[in-house]
Amino acid sequence: MKRSIKSISVLVCICATVAVLLAMTNYLTAPIIQKTEQENASAALLEVLPDGGSFELVDTSAYTLPSTVSEVYKAENGGYVVKLSTTGYSAGMVIMCGISADGRVVGTKLIASAETPAIGGTAADTFAGSVVGKDVESVDGVDTIAGATKTTAAYRSAVKDALNTVIILGGGSVDIRTEEEILADNLSSALPSANGEFDKYFFVEVLDGVDAIYTANNNSGAVCVIGEKFIAVDTDAKVLSECSDAEAQAVRSAIEKISSTVITDIDLTAYEGLPKQLISAKITATGNYIIEIKAAGYGIAGGNEYHPASGKYIEIRVSLSADGRIIDCLTLSEEETDGIGSACADERFYGQFDGKTEENYDDIDAISGATITTDGYKKAILRAFECVKIFEGGEK
Amino acid sequence: MKKNNGFSVLMNGIIKENPVFVLILGTCPTLATTTNVFGAFGMGISTLIVLICSNILISLLRKVIPDNVRIPCYIVIIAGFVTIVQMVVHAFFPALYDMLGVYLALIVVNCIILGRAEMFASKNSVGRSALDGLGMGIGFTLALCSIAVIREVLGAASFAGIAIPFLADYKIDFLVKAPGGMVVYGLLIALVSALTFGKSPKKKEFSCAGCPGAKLCGSAACHGEKHEEKEEK
Amino acid sequence: MEGFKGLVVILLSSVLVNNYVLSRFLGICPFLGVSKKLNQAVGMGVSVTVVMLLATLATWPIQHLVLDKFGLGYLQTIVFILIIASLVQILEIVLKRFSPALHQGLGVYLPLITTNCAVLGVAINNINDKFTFVQSLVSSLGCGLGFLLAMVLFSGLRSRIDESEVPKSFRGVAITLIAASFISLAFMGLAGIVDNLFA
Repeated sequence: MKRSIKSISVLVCICATVAVLLAMTNYLTAPIIQKTEQENASAALLEVLPDGGSFELVDTSAYTLPSTVSEVYKAENGGYVVKLSTTGYSAGMVIMCGISADGRVVGTKLIASAETPAIGGTAADTFAGSVVGKDVESVDGVDTIAGATKTTAAYRSAVKDALNTVIILGGGSVDIRTEEEILADNLSSALPSANGEFDKYFFVEVLDGVDAIYTANNNSGAVCVIGEKFIAVDTDAKVLSECSDAEAQAVRSAIEKISSTVITDIDLTAYEGLPKQLISAKITATGNYIIEIKAAGYGIAGGNEYHPASGKYIEIRVSLSADGRIIDCLTLSEEETDGIGSACADERFYGQFDGKTEENYDDIDAISGATITTDGYKKAILRAFECVKIFEGGEK
Repeated sequence: MKKNNGFSVLMNGIIKENPVFVLILGTCPTLATTTNVFGAFGMGISTLIVLICSNILISLLRKVIPDNVRIPCYIVIIAGFVTIVQMVVHAFFPALYDMLGVYLALIVVNCIILGRAEMFASKNSVGRSALDGLGMGIGFTLALCSIAVIREVLGAASFAGIAIPFLADYKIDFLVKAPGGMVVYGLLIALVSALTFGKSPKKKEFSCAGCPGAKLCGSAACHGEKHEEKEEK
Repeated sequence: MEGFKGLVVILLSSVLVNNYVLSRFLGICPFLGVSKKLNQAVGMGVSVTVVMLLATLATWPIQHLVLDKFGLGYLQTIVFILIIASLVQILEIVLKRFSPALHQGLGVYLPLITTNCAVLGVAINNINDKFTFVQSLVSSLGCGLGFLLAMVLFSGLRSRIDESEVPKSFRGVAITLIAASFISLAFMGLAGIVDNLFA
């Protein structure tokens, strides 16, 4: 008993002495550590904003900033340095972005990333140079770098977030919502009874004056988009939103046209020479065609699209008038590379085909980094034109 | 083994019982911090300081510390010195601190230090313990640096971070990666063993006796080692 | 890195990509010393996994609820090593008392674990990586399993070495290290797999 008391007291004494020694060392070294860390931190900040002078961490809790922003420093000269973390090819890209007082990029630096060093890594360095001098408007115009589209696109949107952050901190208001969120918000505020659930209506007729129609999933009505305006109508085609008479008229006639549309299936076996990729075809009472067709995606890269087992198709629905003008176009399904070819399911891509004819359908912007997907898509559109010609030519 | 004068105690750690190549202690920092000569040297010196300090203190307290709590006492003392070194390095050599990272804190579990405390400092006078710590520390530092020179110069075409231009096209990336470290270390152990064959002490005895769990370990790992040696004879 | 997916990523990357023994060299002493026979390798691996989990269970709350709160961050190393040492001691006593069979199996490995840098390494890394409590536990489990995996694979390799004729100078640790580099080389091939698994 006596022995163990002695043992324990020796151990406790040693622990206490060591703890006191450590506390003393900590007291001596802690200020130096803090100082060098501060110097290191501001050295990193000076790298992206050389004329910044001294920096001060900004308390951003009162602002709603883009989610990528992790820290904001205000420089002595009125500029800002924004630290952002985002996801390029893989998570963990950390970017420092120096912005001058007049809202232009002074310098950016990738300070941590898990990108492939040989591809995304060097691309990020090149890209860092090309955003210098851009402001919030012109930054969108900087091209991504081929082969590292994901890395550079993430970099660009991070820089844009940084620019927006500076505007927000300066008291300005910036819409940091994505395009999809803006659309969803507009639709919901036009027709609250739909509970925010809409389907985009696929045009089979040319509807004059109306750009797009979204129907409520719970059948409570629809929202017609005319220019920037969102006009709600109920199921009896009664206009609910405020708008001019001409707009109301356009909406009413569009709804009328939609509800009176009669669609009949076309018997594909009755025609000769239809492409193999054709899935189904329908005709409306007014003589427009709705064609569903497969396009060869990247999975069938070698062009061997007649061997369906080996590849992946993109399914497209396209409506055309009898004289071969595209009314509407929609990607139904795709299995392309996520983040690259998958952009073919984005309205910004397939929306480009609206109004095109066989003469000018080629005149669209390709999906960056996905030439094969774009080419396959165009080929399918060309086949749709051929189908219409065959249907117009009559049964065999 | 004669350990009469201070000089032989000092040289013992550097050559005859070199902790890295002969006693095979502290393999973890040996492999992890030798991709850069600067880092290896920093690791070596940090370990050296902890080793000398803990050896001195433990030797001073060797009559005070009761036998049944000696291991926890040694651990506390060593951890204290490691933390002090850690704070000093952080304050005055931030680049080294970033480079060594967690391995700096892990000096605490480097078997060399606990091993020397148990094997030497607890049985010898303060002066001899300090010399032993110095010798072992220098031996450790030299060994780390020699591995690091091979790995960094041939693997990264640089020396202590300074690029060697004419080697840049011929660098062997493999050497600075994890498996490369093991190969270089393995080859150097074999080289040392070939050079000192017959003269070096029986390595296994030392590495096991230095281990705090040696008593219990005897029934498991070390038992196997002894068994092997018999076979070799 | 959120939710369940994040946890799976942490688990897989600590088992395969950032394997403690093979790419960070933590716990390499027992890896070289106790991997001679399969049953020893498994015993050591299981013990390390258990201690790692228990150590994280204890060190994470202490770091966040005690050390950080009172500005005692500088005591981290000393507190962690003491916690691990006492945990190992307690575990040994408990095993001896309540499950002598298990103690017979694992008990011999426990004292070796106190100075196993992998355990302290996991505890410190979990704090440095700013993991949450659950993430820390998952990462500890992964590191332990990674250690077990490396030990088991290596014990298979070593049994082959024992049967072969090795040059005199290479006998013992030298050839063991060179053999370990092959396992490490194999694991290097797994780098990047986890990120792309969920990309």
